[in-house]
Amino acid sequence: MNWALLSLALPLLSAFWVLLVRRAVSETILFATLVSLTAALAAFYQVQSDPVQTLLLGDWTLPLAIRFELTSLNALLMVLTATIHFLVGLYNRFSRHGSGRYSDYWPLSAVLHSALVALWLSRDLFNWYVTLELLTLVAVALVTLSGPKAYRAALGYLVLSLIASLFYLLGVALLYGEYGVLDLDRLSALAVDSANTRLALLLMVLGLMLKAALWPLYLWLPDAHANAPTAVSALLSALVVKGPLFILWLTLTQIAPVEFAQQLGLIFALFGSVALLSGAWSALRTPYLKTLVAYSTVAQLGYALITLGLLLRWQTPELATALWLFVIAHALAKVSAFLAAGEMQATFGSKELIAVRGASQSMPLAMFAFAVAGGSLIGLPPSGGFLAKWILLQPLFAEPAHWPWALAILLGTLASAAYVFRVVALAFDRYDVETELPQTDALAQWLSLLPALVVWGLALISQPLMLWLSTGANP
Amino acid sequence: MAVVDWVYDGLLALLVLGLAAGALYSLSLYRAVVFYIALGLVLALVWARLGAPDLALAEAAIGAGLTGVLLLSALKHQPNKARLMGWPWLPGLTGIAILLLLIMMVKAVWGLPQGMAAVGQAALLAVPESGVEHPVTAVLLNFRAWDTLLEVLVVLLALLALRQLTLPDETFPDAWPLLLAWSRLLAPLSLLLGIYLLWRGADAPGGAFQSGALIAAGLLMLRLVGLSPALPWSRFGVRLSILIGPTIFLLAAMATASLGAGWLAFPPDWSKALILLIEVAATTSIAISLALLVGSDSRELNQ
Repeated sequence: MNWALLSLALPLLSAFWVLLVRRAVSETILFATLVSLTAALAAFYQVQSDPVQTLLLGDWTLPLAIRFELTSLNALLMVLTATIHFLVGLYNRFSRHGSGRYSDYWPLSAVLHSALVALWLSRDLFNWYVTLELLTLVAVALVTLSGPKAYRAALGYLVLSLIASLFYLLGVALLYGEYGVLDLDRLSALAVDSANTRLALLLMVLGLMLKAALWPLYLWLPDAHANAPTAVSALLSALVVKGPLFILWLTLTQIAPVEFAQQLGLIFALFGSVALLSGAWSALRTPYLKTLVAYSTVAQLGYALITLGLLLRWQTPELATALWLFVIAHALAKVSAFLAAGEMQATFGSKELIAVRGASQSMPLAMFAFAVAGGSLIGLPPSGGFLAKWILLQPLFAEPAHWPWALAILLGTLASAAYVFRVVALAFDRYDVETELPQTDALAQWLSLLPALVVWGLALISQPLMLWLSTGANP
Repeated sequence: MAVVDWVYDGLLALLVLGLAAGALYSLSLYRAVVFYIALGLVLALVWARLGAPDLALAEAAIGAGLTGVLLLSALKHQPNKARLMGWPWLPGLTGIAILLLLIMMVKAVWGLPQGMAAVGQAALLAVPESGVEHPVTAVLLNFRAWDTLLEVLVVLLALLALRQLTLPDETFPDAWPLLLAWSRLLAPLSLLLGIYLLWRGADAPGGAFQSGALIAAGLLMLRLVGLSPALPWSRFGVRLSILIGPTIFLLAAMATASLGAGWLAFPPDWSKALILLIEVAATTSIAISLALLVGSDSRELNQ
């Protein structure tokens, strides 16, 4: 557990340090992230021999203490968080279009890292509220880094997120009033199927869905994610929306009464199917490149929502493996897609999608990164996205009654292929002869390719990966 | 006796509702802000009546005082001061939605079990081992210190977020002599009261947040009449005083994890001293951060 705590504390401490001394800002944060990544890997290694580690903060007993829990799932999520923070940090440091070596991006991203790790570790409903609050504030601050043009999007994000926080808090307060505890396990043991439990869970679900931008409460996302600086868009899409999803999954599987969970599950699965199609439809129609990538997040979160819904509907905890594979694969692929899109947008000097015409000639690496990431978003084998979809589809094919869900997922796959190929096809279009090729930045393009290669590499370790996720997800 | 209580509580409830309606539905923004400040003060009374003096203090200092100043100074920079902008149907719609939610909540809360929650009982039993006598401080700085650490971080983050915005330059009109004299008197008093609240937090209502807010209010008062020096972010001392609270808190957590019994597990002999150290540092940070959050301008923060 101490390795996990080190991984949690280091980014935060380095953020304080660089805010104070204002020297070697990017180097300090990158170094701290690397050490934090190593610590997360050590925690992950440790958790293999001791599958569920519990820490009661302050050495108090339950129900007084806040409880941390380390499983191979959240150790893996910690590794993912640190990896993505590090890769995005490298891009932000070495690309011409990064936010600069001394900007507040560095301490803010480090706080984001720590807040997420705190969320993965915690098993306390109120502590989760505080981590959600931190995540929101830091995300809004990061969005405003791109200047006055992003203020409106940032304000919308802030206001909606605060409303969502209030809903969540109201639900938690109601549960506390009813059962007198905040610890997840205690609540799971005490909770009964009553009107109050249902109302409390419903309020929490509303708040968390709004925060995770799950359909139909996603309207703030495209604006905020498309207007943020490129590195920030990558962090927001890859990581921030996954935090509330984690809480949603744990509370509903642990606390919700079975009948209520099944009703909610059906609604989730339906919403997820709609999200797949409506997100893809908006991505097909938008004239802007980064907005397209942002809408793709809305669509991809539809997979997560369907998986969570079916998991609740059929009460099959095994599907959690698929859920978290989706999350991991989407996080890595989306980082690549955003970094490549941002690099192209900055190089061509235009937000419009049409500007990437001919990019396969001028920026082949960035385009390759986008296509490879897109392949995982579509779910082409042997990427991480394919793996997740395969695990989800297996139980769906097994019974004819489940085929409509499989159909929804296949339709969603086609739709995501459509918007990925919309970009790729345009990039393979030819330049006009007289157009001058823009100055490109090979290093930044390589950096945007890295996460996409990792997501395809996931297929190589699919066997152990599924094992880690299944033991971590069903303790 | 009971009748007097009922009348008093009923009046308070009516006042809260009336002031809230005034804040939401008055057409002039200025009036809405004034209603909102009054609402904060009455809410503080309500908390006091409910037996939660800690909350009452925080609500009066932060909810009514600092937020009020913040809203008024935001109002000053509004191009159109006269009327509330926005969709005409929005207030009505939110009103209906909130009413529905309220009905459901009242129904739910009515059926809640009476008496103290399990955690509450456990907390009261553990207070003697916490190093402080006041249960609220024990919860905030010991039992759930991790929450408080993150909350202190929230204040810092708010300031960092504000730093990213381009702020207007603040200029205040010259203060008239009476105001000047009063602030010379009140500002040291607020510092004194703040320190008292901090010290008292160990065994009675008070603590870092309330004390920090009071000191920030004193600083703000000096700032409004032009007596306070600038606190620019570019100065090392200012950044140090803003960061010292969360840093000491985090270092205490790391030290207890690596040397002692575990993350934020204060050794019994040391817990009083550690809690005091953390509270003093946190108060400093909260006071300076809140003062900058509410009353700073571009010359101070955007560098």
